[in-house]
Amino acid sequence: MSPRREKLTSPQTRIALARGNRPAHHLLPVPEPVDTEAARRLFHAQRRTAVRTVLLLAVVLFGLSGAFALLPVLGQVRLAQVPVSWLLLTVGIYPMLFGLALWHVRAAERLENEAEARAADRAGEPGTDDPEGPL
Amino acid sequence: MTTAVLAIGLVLATSLFIGVYGVRAARSTSDFLVASRRVSPNWNALAIAGEYLSAASVLGLAGLLLKNGLGTMWYAVGFTAGYVAVVALVAGPMRRSGAFTVPDFAEYRLGAPRLRKLCGCVVLVIMLLYLVPQFKGAGVVLSLVSGTPYWVGVLLAGLVVSGSIAAGGMRSATYVQAFHYVVKLAFLAVPAIYLVVHAGAETRAEALHPEWGTHFPETTPVEFTVATHFSLDEAVTVVTAEGEELELAAGEHSVGQGTEYVFPEGATIPHPAGLPELGSERWSTPLLDVGGYPLFETWSTLLAITLGCMGLPHVIMRFHTSPTARIARRVAVGVIALLGLFYLFPTVYGLLGRVLTPQLVMLQGTDTVAVVLPAQAVPGSAGTILTALVAAGAFGAFLSTSSGLLLALAGGLSHDLFQGSVPRLRLAVAVGACVAVLLALPAKMIDINVLVVWAFTVAASTFCPLLVLGIWWRRLTLPGAASGLIVGGVTATGAVGWSILFDTPEGWLTVLLAQPAAWTIPLAFLTMTVVSRFTRPPEWAEHAVLRLHSP
Repeated sequence: MSPRREKLTSPQTRIALARGNRPAHHLLPVPEPVDTEAARRLFHAQRRTAVRTVLLLAVVLFGLSGAFALLPVLGQVRLAQVPVSWLLLTVGIYPMLFGLALWHVRAAERLENEAEARAADRAGEPGTDDPEGPL
Repeated sequence: MTTAVLAIGLVLATSLFIGVYGVRAARSTSDFLVASRRVSPNWNALAIAGEYLSAASVLGLAGLLLKNGLGTMWYAVGFTAGYVAVVALVAGPMRRSGAFTVPDFAEYRLGAPRLRKLCGCVVLVIMLLYLVPQFKGAGVVLSLVSGTPYWVGVLLAGLVVSGSIAAGGMRSATYVQAFHYVVKLAFLAVPAIYLVVHAGAETRAEALHPEWGTHFPETTPVEFTVATHFSLDEAVTVVTAEGEELELAAGEHSVGQGTEYVFPEGATIPHPAGLPELGSERWSTPLLDVGGYPLFETWSTLLAITLGCMGLPHVIMRFHTSPTARIARRVAVGVIALLGLFYLFPTVYGLLGRVLTPQLVMLQGTDTVAVVLPAQAVPGSAGTILTALVAAGAFGAFLSTSSGLLLALAGGLSHDLFQGSVPRLRLAVAVGACVAVLLALPAKMIDINVLVVWAFTVAASTFCPLLVLGIWWRRLTLPGAASGLIVGGVTATGAVGWSILFDTPEGWLTVLLAQPAAWTIPLAFLTMTVVSRFTRPPEWAEHAVLRLHSP
């Protein structure tokens, strides 16, 4: 006999459904960070990393298309018969995007690890290891 | 073409089997939750890529490349780069917010039921704009392989998707979607590699040298299904339907609907008015150039696609199946690798299509190039089998993406806009499918990618600013978010809609309306920040933001 099938919704949807059309009396409880200052520092560090990645992404995308527009020679030079600009656009750009994303993940995880280690230090415990292991 | 119908049937049957088997494996809520935590990041990345690669990628890219030139591949780059933006800006924090959808996130961050309804409306617009081209793609493929009229294909596609959702074909979504990624990759890659190897050195060289000119590869009958204007570079003698020889002088020509000409082998291909000459410099320069401002068009499209990706409701939803925010980010990196691998192949169809099936441009049927090409290039049963593979892959693309879209649409209808229940969800699926089919019927002549980029533009001008500012800026307020959503949604939907429905004079106005992302996205961001500056965020806003970033 199979158990009754239940409908799955996210916590926010459950709250919204339970509330019906009445206005919000309370939200999903937002747990107070133990150390607001540390959380702020982490937030700002993560924001700097995110801005850096987005800027680099813009440089790759706009820079490459700009190069195609300004340097027609990229369409004339050929590598194994294929114009270099075609190679860059259809093959070469994907490893760049992948590398950029990988680099961002490493930077973001390092910041999180450092924040956790500092929190553990303050609590008098040894630093925690990265639970997922190295990437 | 029965092979193709058979292959499509096989993909459908296997999806249903995996779906039903997966449902048996996970029955209760806890099963589902535990299973979703146990799904390995690799499976999850496969599933996300499987749902994301739509008809726009499988059919649309190759077709648009054939028609407009190499610049088309910027769409593929944008589709992939979107995940870099997702990794950097939303994947981790979205997972920590506990929100499944953007309306959920709006509720978490700004705590207002009305904003939830507004977001629900935006979800509907984006999902419909995205669904219509999927149905169009399915209709085109089905009518091509079975010979039925286009509207029968669209109607059938609508029935198949609603039916497969009703039968539970998408319930164990992760495995079905992962299966579809493999189907799409294999069924596009294998024929592509086979075609490249068997095309012969001459065809390969011709494909890589567009400056040699584009000629009919053999005596080709062309039946104009719509009235067309085209121009010829040199005079050519064609044979009309009555069997008479007709000399077409160099220059402009217009033909009425239903005209049939047989072009001799080796004749230069005519190019329809408003399109770049096949293989000309404008065609082979890798920039998007439809309205005459290539750099602006390329950048605007890149902005729309890269930033729109994070605002797509069915993309955001999938990150919740990762157990932690860290794994959500890593999954997104895996998706980038899978997309990059897939996007190596549409180029092959577009480049070979210019040499082997250039007549599709005149027939306004370039979206079918990936399906038509194998049978043209490789005669006999091998070609039939390859065509069947591509058709089945395209159908898999359509099936997985439109099921995900339709479920997101139905979820939005029943949860965010009305108080939902399971029967209502079913009704919403049926209503959503009906509306999408009705909208897809008159859309036969609109390129798949034009419609898909429209959906991305709306997402980039509405949900992207909401998510980015909501996650990274403490001072975003409810009035700011709401006004930004309305301004971005109305301008982006209106501008592209205007450019599709009405003729506009050549020049900047046309380009700004057809590619509005470059001004609608900054406008939406500006509205949100300026209005937020004039209003006060609630006291708990900072905690809501900080919580998104605490490990």
